Amino acid sequence: MDFGILSVIIFFPMFVAFAMLILPVSAKNTRNAAFFTSIVIFILVSIVYFNFEVTSNMQFQEHHMWVAAYGIHYSLGIDGFSLIILMLIAILIPSAYLWLWHGRTKGYWVSMLLIQSGITGTLFSQDLILFYFFWEGMLLPVFMIIGMFGTGDRVFSTIKITIYTILGSLFMLISILYLGVAFFHNFGFWSFELSDIVKINNLSRVEELWLFAGFMLAFAIKIPLFPFHTWLLQTYSNSPTGGVFLLSSIMAKLGVYGIVRFVMPIFPELYKEFAPLFVWLGIFGLLYFGIAAMMQVNIKKMFAYSSASHLGFIVTGIFSLNAYGMTGAAFLIIAHAMATGGLFLLVGKMEYELGIKSIPALGGIAKKAPVFTVFFGIMLLSIVGLPGTNGFISEFLIILGTFGFNPAAGVVSALTVLVAASFMFWMFQRAILSNNGNDVSGMVDLSVKEIIGMLPLAFLIIAMGIYPDWFFYKIAPTIHHYLVDILEIRN
Amino acid sequence: MVSADFIYLLPLFFVGLGAIVLMIVSTFKAVTIRQGAILALIFLVLAFIANTFNMASGDEVYSVYPFEEVFNKMVIVDTFSGYFSIILILGAILTILIGLHYFERRKEFTVEFFSLFLFSVFGMMFLVHANELISAFVGLEIASLSLYVMIGFEKVIDRRIEASYRYLVLGSLAGIFFLLGTAFIYGATGTTTIGIIGDMSLNTFSTNQGLLIIGGTMILITFLFKITAFPFQNWALDVYDGAPLPVTAYMAATFKAAIFGFILRLMIVDFDLIRDFWDNALVYVIILTLAYGSFLAVIQRSLKRMLVASSIVHTGYLLIGFTSISALGESAASSIIFYLIAYFLSALGAFGLISYITSDDRLRVTYDDFRGFAKIRPYMAAMLSIFMLSLAGIPSTIGFIGKFYIFTGAIESGNTVLAIVAIIATFISIYYYFKLIAVMYFYRSPELTNVPPLKGIAPTVIAFIAIAIIWGGVGNTLIAYFPGVDFLIDMAKASYNSLFIG
Repeated sequence: MDFGILSVIIFFPMFVAFAMLILPVSAKNTRNAAFFTSIVIFILVSIVYFNFEVTSNMQFQEHHMWVAAYGIHYSLGIDGFSLIILMLIAILIPSAYLWLWHGRTKGYWVSMLLIQSGITGTLFSQDLILFYFFWEGMLLPVFMIIGMFGTGDRVFSTIKITIYTILGSLFMLISILYLGVAFFHNFGFWSFELSDIVKINNLSRVEELWLFAGFMLAFAIKIPLFPFHTWLLQTYSNSPTGGVFLLSSIMAKLGVYGIVRFVMPIFPELYKEFAPLFVWLGIFGLLYFGIAAMMQVNIKKMFAYSSASHLGFIVTGIFSLNAYGMTGAAFLIIAHAMATGGLFLLVGKMEYELGIKSIPALGGIAKKAPVFTVFFGIMLLSIVGLPGTNGFISEFLIILGTFGFNPAAGVVSALTVLVAASFMFWMFQRAILSNNGNDVSGMVDLSVKEIIGMLPLAFLIIAMGIYPDWFFYKIAPTIHHYLVDILEIRN
Repeated sequence: MVSADFIYLLPLFFVGLGAIVLMIVSTFKAVTIRQGAILALIFLVLAFIANTFNMASGDEVYSVYPFEEVFNKMVIVDTFSGYFSIILILGAILTILIGLHYFERRKEFTVEFFSLFLFSVFGMMFLVHANELISAFVGLEIASLSLYVMIGFEKVIDRRIEASYRYLVLGSLAGIFFLLGTAFIYGATGTTTIGIIGDMSLNTFSTNQGLLIIGGTMILITFLFKITAFPFQNWALDVYDGAPLPVTAYMAATFKAAIFGFILRLMIVDFDLIRDFWDNALVYVIILTLAYGSFLAVIQRSLKRMLVASSIVHTGYLLIGFTSISALGESAASSIIFYLIAYFLSALGAFGLISYITSDDRLRVTYDDFRGFAKIRPYMAAMLSIFMLSLAGIPSTIGFIGKFYIFTGAIESGNTVLAIVAIIATFISIYYYFKLIAVMYFYRSPELTNVPPLKGIAPTVIAFIAIAIIWGGVGNTLIAYFPGVDFLIDMAKASYNSLFIG
């Protein structure tokens, strides 16, 4: 049996994790191994990235029978959309590891490695059962990392996020099984492969609606989309930095990815039909979470809401049904992951050094830690969408896309982005810049490792902002394929 | 000269002989429990070898009536019975290996216990080999009577006696239904042989259909009682909880498999008519079983009671497979058998590990007692987590594949509502299974109570079960010639097909 490069990318971290778990290795060496693994994965992903042909085809495919009786395949592949998320993951994870360098236990690193395996597995799966397998499997290390290393009422938060996400995924499971059975009735043999499932044509509208709802529920909870966000606040504020980093910058995006990868090709008609609902839901989320963020005193909670706010905007983009919106959404996935991920790391450090999470109790950080402040500022500008950062490009494109979809929605979204971003400056001013006499003498500036970890993110934020075409050309054919071939929209 | 027919009966013979030998041996004071256990294991392994030999030689699908001129189709040996015998013998072997530590620590256990144990295995194997209602009843009662005594074996503990007595009274009452049902069926069809009943039931002219349905219903009541389905589940909590843990494990995993084995044969071969009549009622039985079992499991504070209550929920899942049989046949039957194996492994592992943990003291019984357990015994906590995940049906365990088959079957046969109810029950089960994982990993334990260390036979066997569960969840043809999921399914299908060639 042969393994391709994608399998190696999935299973290498898992293998290292189990090896570390079994062998009597110290926490320090486990960390070194984890970092080394993430670098290896980065190199492998770079190879994939540069060998990826600029077409809309599925590439690097692997295909093996897994459970023959029910046509479950071990089927992997990537297209342009998964490629950029993959590249993102490969860059983010080693950077984050540099930030989490000190004071973590073995279990922490093992969980991080397992989460990485789960994420990439989810990203590559081209079989619905395999996808579910990773999607659900990914939850276990998240469960562990929040429960074991979180703060506050961590056990309750853990149970809450687990129950929420499993509720969603179980209904998705039913939908998957139903699709498999429908395929069997349709064609006379079993298969759960995506390329087969999309051919189903014997479902009634009512059936399709329910199945669509089953999938959307799972993804909406993961993103989270209003009104399925109630797990968000507690989980983000009680998670350890590494956990919240992965949750916000990568796992939430997988919800969006799932919509594009599965919901769009399987239910193209419903996707178009319900697009207005989700566009408005996204815009509403942008506003609602933006306002909620503004009112938070706890800085972590504020970022949690601001993150959800942008995810709403991403959803608006992917449902805008045109190339601007979708490209913008893909771009915002990257931009947001870098900026929010970076911010959570920075805030995590601040919390670690000072033990303070409340914005009014902070202030004067800029004087104590200038490098910290610079990076904080770059991330913040990307979130706000200042021209010259990748945040600007992506938000601009989504607004354009929304205009194309519906001018009213376009106007609202353009205004909302401004509102939703304004609080960021306010926070920056209060927590970092202002000299209000609070005692922040415990704050230390970034170490060399932390600077090295943050540099790629900062560099990409600006590079992607100045010359976005570097990144567009890989994904453009894929987006075109989604719109023209799958959704059959011509514009 | 050993006749071919006798070779077919060798597995049964070895277990029965072992039971008698152990009974005689137990009169000698010098024999220790360990020696008794080894003796029992020898006979079980012999039976296992004989059984595997029967299955491996000849066709993949076979069916014979050994000594037909003597027994007159009372006993059948086919792939189906062979497959179930493997499960039963394996269950018995694993129970002894896992429970030995426990049995040795409690001084009430004597060598007679293993004699009873083998008698119960014999009864169960006889049950899955039975091709006739009265023989089945004999098998069922041999198994049940042995279990009544095994439950109350630690006679210094009041709870054991109470559980034993309760089970005796209620079990006998359930047995009466079986007998009455058999009488009705005999009255309607003039036979008690499986297969012939089915033929007769189709003959609407000479057969009293009403009587047949009443008879069949009564037999089903007995089985719903034994498998703890709603509304006959109330005894389970107290009896299973009152029994010594290895015996609970044995009852929940192995005994259930035997009963499902017989009822599958009966339903598939004979009860076309009754199945149609019962399918609708069964839907409500399943929904209530799932709902009530989930409710019971959620409110338990004791781990053992939670596992027992959750076994009611698993009975509900298994019964879902039954409703698909009419529409799907082969794949539904194989999904039931596969789920039985999945549950068998997970439950045996979970009960077994907890019995090992509690064998030295009687302290760790509630969730709270497991606080910070992962710190004290990381490997045991990991194994216990694997069992919980498998019971909850999380991907990468065999429990997920089992649920996958059952739910797919339900949807395929048009019972999507049942699948959704089952999904909701699964969702609730996340709570009580994950609670244990959370308790073990997320809290710090203040004191170290004496937990037996991770060495010896029992932990090794349990570790193997844990590996098997993971392998069953992810394994395929990765390793050539090593049985994976597909192998188990193919075997289950072969056993289903063997029911029709007899």
